[in-house]
Parts: sequence; structure tokens; C-alpha cells
Amino acid sequence: MRVLLAEDDPMIGASVRQGLRQDGFAVDWVEDGRAAELAVAERVHDAVVLDLGLPKRAGLDVLGTMRRSGDTRPVLILTARDAVADRVAGLDAGADDYVVKPFDLNELSARLRALLRRGAGRAGPVLTHGELDLNPATREASFKGEPLALSPREFALLEALIARPGAILSRAQLEDKLYGWTDPVESNAVEVHIHTLRKKMGADFIRNVRGVGWMVARPASNA
Amino acid sequence: MTSIRRQLLFWLLVGLLAGVAVAAAGTYLRAREEANELFDHQLQEMVASLTGAPFAAAPAGLGDSDAGGNALVVQIWDRNGVQLYLSQPQRVLPQHAQLGFTNLHTDAGDWRVFSALTDNQVIQVAQPMRERRELAASMALRTIVPLLAVLPALGLLIWLIIARGLKPLERVAAAVGRRSPTQLEPLAERGLPREVQPLVQSLNGLLLRLGQALAVQRTFIADAAHELRTPLTAVHLQAQLAERATTDAERRKALADLKSGLERATRLSEQLLTLARAEPGVEAAERPPSVVDLLALAREVIAELAPLAAEKAIDLGLSEGGKAMLRGDADALRALLSNLIDNAVRYTPAGGRVDVAVQAEGDRVALAVRDNGPGIAPLERQRVFDRFYRGQPAAAPGDAGARASVRGSGLGLAIVKSIADQHGAAIELGPGLDGTGLGVTVRFPATA
Repeated sequence: MRVLLAEDDPMIGASVRQGLRQDGFAVDWVEDGRAAELAVAERVHDAVVLDLGLPKRAGLDVLGTMRRSGDTRPVLILTARDAVADRVAGLDAGADDYVVKPFDLNELSARLRALLRRGAGRAGPVLTHGELDLNPATREASFKGEPLALSPREFALLEALIARPGAILSRAQLEDKLYGWTDPVESNAVEVHIHTLRKKMGADFIRNVRGVGWMVARPASNA
Repeated sequence: MTSIRRQLLFWLLVGLLAGVAVAAAGTYLRAREEANELFDHQLQEMVASLTGAPFAAAPAGLGDSDAGGNALVVQIWDRNGVQLYLSQPQRVLPQHAQLGFTNLHTDAGDWRVFSALTDNQVIQVAQPMRERRELAASMALRTIVPLLAVLPALGLLIWLIIARGLKPLERVAAAVGRRSPTQLEPLAERGLPREVQPLVQSLNGLLLRLGQALAVQRTFIADAAHELRTPLTAVHLQAQLAERATTDAERRKALADLKSGLERATRLSEQLLTLARAEPGVEAAERPPSVVDLLALAREVIAELAPLAAEKAIDLGLSEGGKAMLRGDADALRALLSNLIDNAVRYTPAGGRVDVAVQAEGDRVALAVRDNGPGIAPLERQRVFDRFYRGQPAAAPGDAGARASVRGSGLGLAIVKSIADQHGAAIELGPGLDGTGLGVTVRFPATA
């Protein structure tokens, strides 16, 4: 899952970026409102973490622009404890949730996961596809009732694929989900990760459409 | 404790009593004068009535029949000085024959004597002065007794009038007593006596200034708390990352970040303290101004900051011109220099240059700090003196990493302004070196 972080304080931004990465998110960090608007317009992120006190363009304006353009992706705002009015204004302007500074990294991650889950129309914490269970909160996976050991990238790859069963995702699309702007992308990384996953789960689970991309089949039970 | 009411009452009564005394004395003197005329006339009449009377026999009962009792003493002599008659033998009066009115002092008191020469006799009538005095005294007494009688009533009246007159003061005192630090609206000035109005006006002026000072302080504390929250949030997150670290390398990195986060929070709190100290009126009494050599101070501060400049390969130097003595607070001036130079070094990219110049300009001493960093856009030059305002650099900023290193508290120039104001100095923002960057010039009044 790829998250856009808009935060002007360099120390807070760096820490949040690192913490979210540790929790398995791909993170892009912008430091002012104008950059945030540009990044939002790219529509590559699954969620936005937005500080309201951004220079150049206020967080609320960024949020307003987003919602006016019909963008329904989850937005979580960062506010101060005493700034109730800001919080209310943020929620009214279309934010989905907020955390109060100083906040806890675990809480931020958990709230982001909950937002993404609800955005995908699920209530439970575990993603299920056929015989695969993924728990984004604990980063644990099981396949056919057996625990499945996955690297963070492999986990993110599976998460992206089962989010849209039956759809073919290109290498570029998958890379977007796996890497932030500043993350170094190894060439053939997606192929390497898919190769490993197939070894762990069998060749049938992820199908290759040559020259186009990869997909997981719609589960028969759901069809 | 002195009481206006009691003092007024006391002195008014003293004045009244003095007036009564003067009136009594006046009455007494005038009454005695009148009595003198009256009695002198009586003496003359008496002598006239005796003239020509045969003195074979003494005029019987002359002394007794008189209204003054046996007060009058009559003596009659013939031409040869032989006493023909003495009304009261027990009274010893001198054989005195000076004609006309005389005053006599004898063992039996003071006498008023009138002698007249008739055909062949000298008639002398003497009367004690005591009588005249008693008459005058009783007249004076009759004048002052009624005055003394109304004195207590007057005193009570004065007491009540003063109480009434002082009522507005009590009202003002009660109104001031009701004021609290959060409730500083001015006192009502209408309907007050002319004497109390200046007091209330002064009090209102004080309340106004107090309210303004409190508002400034409140804003400052709110701003300070708000600004401290950001570094504390960062420290909180950095500590959590240190907790999460699984490898030694990660932990070392996380702890280094945490340390710089703490340094930032510490620096901010120190700057807040400096700013609070530089507030007008604060500690001014505790730190009397002394004569400060700005040049020497600049040398010291540059020496302190040289390592920071060296780390960024910034060419930091001082140029001087003339004596730079000024009257001021050495600690505050050190904070001013330190903030200006530190700012310049922080905001100037590696390899840049920072020039500090201390120069005499007539009756002023000019301190200039110029750099070739990003500078401040002209439109923002006034706002940068606001507390917690962080300027946007005029030049294009570098990447996120570079900006992180120049991130300040937003207090440096507010501190500089506050200290400059305290010293009656003027600040000017202009271009820095080589047409780029920032130049800050502070002009202090010089001292001999």
C-alpha cells in the first residue's frame, strides 16, 4: 500500500516516513501544500496523511481540491490537541480520520490500515483470497492453513494483487504500489518477487499474462 | 496611619478655636477701652460734683453710696496741702496731686486717678483698674460662650461633610478592589469630583498598559506552547523508532536522530527564555546598563560560532572601523550578536560566506551581518521579526535534507528585534553579499 505523507516539519516527516515503511507501507513525503496537490493529482497513492499546517497551501485547501475533483481516497489528518476547530473543519472538508500530535506510530499505522480496509469495503482485519489469508496489521500470512513466510515486498505484492482479483496489473502498476519515489527500484524486482512467491505458493496462484502483467483469479466461490 | 478626615477635623477645629480666641481678645480690648472712657467720664463728673462743696464736714457716705461700692477713693486737700478729706482711710494712696488723669501702681493694685484744681482745693478721685478689667472680661466671655457652645455641633458637621466628600475615593477603592488580572476594564470616570479624576485617569492608564502586557504574555505563552509541540512530537516519534529498531545500525541511527531532536527542542526552549528575558521591563532593574565594547563582544561570539562555520566550510570573518562603545546590557547584546551570526551561518549553504562588520558612524555604532545565503524576499522582510515566523527563502531551496539542517525556531530575529528595541537601536534588512543573501544592520546610539 502506497501512502502520501504531507508534513512540513523535517524531523516529524522523516520519522513518520521511516515508521510507516517499517509497517509495510510505501511512503512518498512532500513538505508543502503545493507539492501535496501535485502528488495527489497523480492518483498513485492508496491513502493520504495530511498535516493541516502546511506552507504555501494549507492542508484544508489540499483536501478541498481533492474532494471537489471527486477523489474519494482515504485521508487522515494530523492536528494539534487543542485545535478542535481545525479537526472539525478537516473532517467536514472530507477527512476520514485524524490523529493528534504528538501521536503514536503504531496508532497511525493502525488507523491507516483501518481506513484502507474500509475503503476496500471490508470490515475484518484479514484479507482473504481463496486459501490465502493476509493480515496487514501483523504482516502475517497463511496459505492452505499453513503459515507463509513473506518478505515485506512479497507481502505488499500479494496485497496489491488480491485487492483487485481478476484484474491484470502491469509491472509499472505493481512497482507503484511497492515503491515510493525515493525508493531505489531494482530492475526485475517484481519478476524476482513473483518468482519467489510462486515457489512458496505454487505456480497457479499468480498467473502471468505475457507482455501485459500478472493477476490472481477471482475465487470460484465468489464468482 | 494618617487620616485625611481626622487631620481636616483637627486643623479646622484648631482654626475655629484660634478664631474664637482672637474674637474674645478683640472684644475684651474694645470693651476695656469703652469702660475706660465711661469710667473716666464718671470720675470727671464726680470731681465736678464735689467742687465748691464745703468741707467742714465730710460728704457723708460718698464712697458707700456709689454704684461701684466702696471702690472710689476721694481725697481733698486745701491749697496748702492739708488733707481735708479722705473717703477711705484704710486705703493708702499717695499724696498725689498731679492734675488730670494718671495711672498708679500701688501695693493695693492699679488705680486710675483724676485730680482737679478748684478754687482753693485739690480734689482727687481714684478708682481701681480691676473693675474695668472685670467688666471687659465679662463682656468678652459673653461673646465667646455661645461660640464655644456650638463648637461640638460644628465639629460633627465637619466630620460628616468630609465623610461625604471622601465617598468617591471609597467608591474608586472598591472598584479597584473588584478588578482581577483577567478583568481589567477601565474605571468609570464620569461623576467623579475634579480632585479624584486625575487619580482614576492614571489608574485607567495603568490598567490599560497592564492589560496589553498581559495580552502579549498570554499570546507569547500560547505561541511558545504551540511551537514546543512540534519538536516534542518529533522527539516522541524518534524515540519510538529507536524502540522499534532491530539492528544495532538502526538503533544507532535512531538514537542520533533522537539526539538531534532533543537538541532542537532544547535550543527552542533556550531561545524562548532569551526572548522572555529581552521583554521590555523584565529584569531591567536587576541588570543595570554598563558600557559595552561591541567589537570585543563580536569577537567573542564569532570565536564561539567559528566551529559551526568551519563544519559547513563557511568563511566567517569580522571587519572593524573605529570605537564601538555603547551603553547597554552585555548579556542581551551577546544574545543579539549570537542570534544574528548563528542565523547567517545556519541559513547560508556550505562553502558560503558570512561577514560581520562593527563600525562607528558619527554618534552611532553600526553592526552589520551579511551573508550570501538564500536571503529573505523583500515582501517578507517585515514579517520575519514576528515571533515564530519562518521566512521563505528568496532563492530556490535545496532538497529536503538541506532544508532540514537550516530549520530554525522562528525566534532568532524576534529576539534580535526585542533586544535592539531595548537599546534604542534601529534594524534594517537589506541585501547581503554579492547581491544575494541577507544583510542585517543594527544601529545603536554610541557612548563616549
